[in-house]
Amino acid sequence: MGAASSWKEQLAGQMPAELAGEIDTFETQIHLRKQGKMEEKLFAETRLRRGVYGQRYDNGQRYDGTQTQQIHFPEHQTKGPDTVWHAPGMMRIKIPFGGLTAQQMEVLADVAEEYSEEILHVTTRQDFQIHFVHLEDTPDLMRRLAAVGITTREACGNSVRNVTACPLSGVCRTETFDVTPYAQAAMRFLLGHPDCQDFGRKFKIAFSGCQHEACGLTNMHDLGGIAAVKTIDGQEKRGFALYVGGGLGAVPHQAQLFDEFIPAEELLPIAQAIARVFARLGEKKNRNRARIKFLVAKLGIEEFRRLVWEERAILPADPRWTAFLDDLHATDEQPLKPGQALNGAVASAGFAEWHRTNVYAQRQEGYAVATVVLPLGDITSTQLRSLAAISRHYVRETVRTTVEQNLVLRWVRQTDLPHLYDELVGLGLAESGAGTIADVTACPGTDTCKLGIASSRGLAAQLRQRLGEENGQLNEAVEALRIKISGCFNSCGQHHAADIGFYGNSRKINGITVPHFQVVLGGQWRENAGSFGLATGAVPSKNIPEVVARLAKHFVAERTADETFKGFITRIGKRQVKAMLEDLTQVPSHEENSWYYQDWGDTREFTMDDLGKGECAGEVVSITTMEIAAAEREVFEAQVAFDEGQLAAAWQTALGAMLRAARALVKEQFYDVPETPEVVVAEFRARFYDSELFSPKFANYLFAAHQDPPGELTKAPVHRFIEEAQLFIEGAYTCYDKIAVPAGATA
Amino acid sequence: MEALQRINLKFYLEDPASLSAQEAFRIFNSWIPTTPAEVLIDVADYSHLADGPLTLLVGHEANYSLDNHHAELGLLYSRKQPADGDLTQRLASAFTAALTACRRLEEEPSLAGNVTFRRGDVLLVANDRLNAPNDEAGENALRAALAPVLAQLFADAEYTVERDPAPQLRLNLRIRCPAAANTAALLGNLAA
Repeated sequence: MGAASSWKEQLAGQMPAELAGEIDTFETQIHLRKQGKMEEKLFAETRLRRGVYGQRYDNGQRYDGTQTQQIHFPEHQTKGPDTVWHAPGMMRIKIPFGGLTAQQMEVLADVAEEYSEEILHVTTRQDFQIHFVHLEDTPDLMRRLAAVGITTREACGNSVRNVTACPLSGVCRTETFDVTPYAQAAMRFLLGHPDCQDFGRKFKIAFSGCQHEACGLTNMHDLGGIAAVKTIDGQEKRGFALYVGGGLGAVPHQAQLFDEFIPAEELLPIAQAIARVFARLGEKKNRNRARIKFLVAKLGIEEFRRLVWEERAILPADPRWTAFLDDLHATDEQPLKPGQALNGAVASAGFAEWHRTNVYAQRQEGYAVATVVLPLGDITSTQLRSLAAISRHYVRETVRTTVEQNLVLRWVRQTDLPHLYDELVGLGLAESGAGTIADVTACPGTDTCKLGIASSRGLAAQLRQRLGEENGQLNEAVEALRIKISGCFNSCGQHHAADIGFYGNSRKINGITVPHFQVVLGGQWRENAGSFGLATGAVPSKNIPEVVARLAKHFVAERTADETFKGFITRIGKRQVKAMLEDLTQVPSHEENSWYYQDWGDTREFTMDDLGKGECAGEVVSITTMEIAAAEREVFEAQVAFDEGQLAAAWQTALGAMLRAARALVKEQFYDVPETPEVVVAEFRARFYDSELFSPKFANYLFAAHQDPPGELTKAPVHRFIEEAQLFIEGAYTCYDKIAVPAGATA
Repeated sequence: MEALQRINLKFYLEDPASLSAQEAFRIFNSWIPTTPAEVLIDVADYSHLADGPLTLLVGHEANYSLDNHHAELGLLYSRKQPADGDLTQRLASAFTAALTACRRLEEEPSLAGNVTFRRGDVLLVANDRLNAPNDEAGENALRAALAPVLAQLFADAEYTVERDPAPQLRLNLRIRCPAAANTAALLGNLAA
């Protein structure tokens, strides 16, 4: 390191200016909130949109096994409703399409060491999460990631989340074409896009190269694109079968076909038009019905489609819609070494089994994709750093995260596979069984999530251990099944799309709460999460391993030739499944066996008392409120510039703040108002001053400053002008209170 | 270097088999309601991982973990919040806190005295790449601040300090003192 005294100074010039500015702004917002100058809910949504998430026990209390105890954090400041300032939280880090470089892995390892607990967790949406992070550390953490091209922006909150894609894109044997550049373009275009700032809930996008594999799981996404080609005027054109309104959660919806072929040049404008329709008509008040799936269901796909095309027709043209098409090869990968087939090269014990389950032969001859299984999606800093070195040695840093919480190394020369395996053994990362029943997926559950009911990770660890012991001896049909576990009904573990899925709940037995999991059977992972499973009954957590064993046994014994698990469950029927598991639903009394009253991976008696208020839904804060608050922050920055003697900057910043607030109000009535100050002032005058909706005294501060910019600046008038700007902001809040339509009233 | 606040200290178990991740999980949980001097929050289980913290007690001021980094099992103390005093004083505070946790484990009734820590073998990691670079200058600055603490800790017995200069690592010092006393005596030395 150099002699810099802060990461901000150390990394100056190494981050995109816009991103650096955003992080500085967030740091200012932290200070403002700490001083009580920023409203709690507004700060919470702001924080979420920067990927800074709450974590279990951040309400300042925890059940110790006998009673709920207060956690005596210093100070009583909050960073959101019921969220204690000093309580450590989770940082979600977006990894678009899962693509990682070696340098990015190294920096991720560094920040996990210095700000977290040396553990990184891969999520079911190709993100990384690190836990137990302190709020004040987040700006530096973001800067260090930004310097290597990673953002946490809009990783949480009511925004466009990470854009995911099949981890085999570009090397897959069955894909129509490589979706990577399209996923990247969608991510870049929609990140921070003004049309994506006023959603009632989050919005998830996925891309797949194939219709029939699992790939990007487009059927369970708000917006999903499956690669398609069409011959138009004798020319083969690329595009996407576009699906909309899918989603899991408590009420899963299969996505509906929006259009069987959207040409590539229309992908971004259609996504933008969908975002506008969702922002305008989506539910804002009832968080449980605010995802776009409810809007599509309510309107019907025909009407939804009509509204989107109507919106598309009036969208102001944007060169970014097609600019990326000129450089579609920018995301192409190159191998490090010439391809070479394995041809029975000598290898260590264990290699053959690892090769059988973890290696996928690429369509490019002589190359393979090697899956690194991460137990429960976890990897240590040391392991990730070593993996970065491996990715330089064996491949050209071509690494991706997967939605099954693993990592893949692409473009491995097949003759290198035995050596790669040996190195992974040395790192404790050579577990076989990728994509098998033992490769259990689980959300964080009660380990760290505020909404977790039962221990999804504790159960997953149990199942992994038991199934892993049978590795290589399982019946082929059973081995191919997938198990996915969520800690509650919100489905972050994607249990609906698994052959065997579980989600946490609880039951009272003689007045004592017992952890249970609902058994969800017959979901389909392939066909892009082609169908969802059905709940068949709740079973105590401690009996779930036996549920899996019994289902596997019956499946092997009773399936017809080539029958899928979904087909088997459908054929035998829910009644027979229920009968098969009936005895496992029984819970002995606490006196008989208190073991049932503890969850997996916990030594405490089970409780529901640790359940907190989730932040997944974010806070409903209108885009106008967000913008006026941003303007207020700019007034604060003007004050800082004034204190530092930068009078011209102070004056300009204060004027910018007034214009921003004025434009926020104008946008309420004229959505596409340009940013040109002349237009903003004219529109503001016509709509709010002439109509007397805005305080004329405060409005005149803006008009005067705009019409007659001062010549030489001296302290007194600049100071006065900053005060006028603050009053203008107050006026904007008051005006917005008058004109605002209550949240949800239009839905 | 003076700005360094994040200090990690690891004391190694004499017998790695003497404390399992499951036992540590249970014991750390019991510490949460019984440690009024510190804000302790939760315990996390990472025993499924090969190299790193197996069991983690998360606190506000500091974390404690049963750590298996480089397959060497020990108790890792990780100071997170700023502490009072100059760097030497902060290092002394960190040693006191880490050794107090070691002694607590040694005296844990359910472990029946089976847990002891290796005498005179400790790893110090400056968990801050900005303020404590892993280079010779960083080493010299840290050693200067550390010397009075080690003199007191080891009662002026001879010790060695070795740094692993690998650039990807944080500034680290492996401190060895063959004549070092047991945990309780070391704590007594620091308190004197």
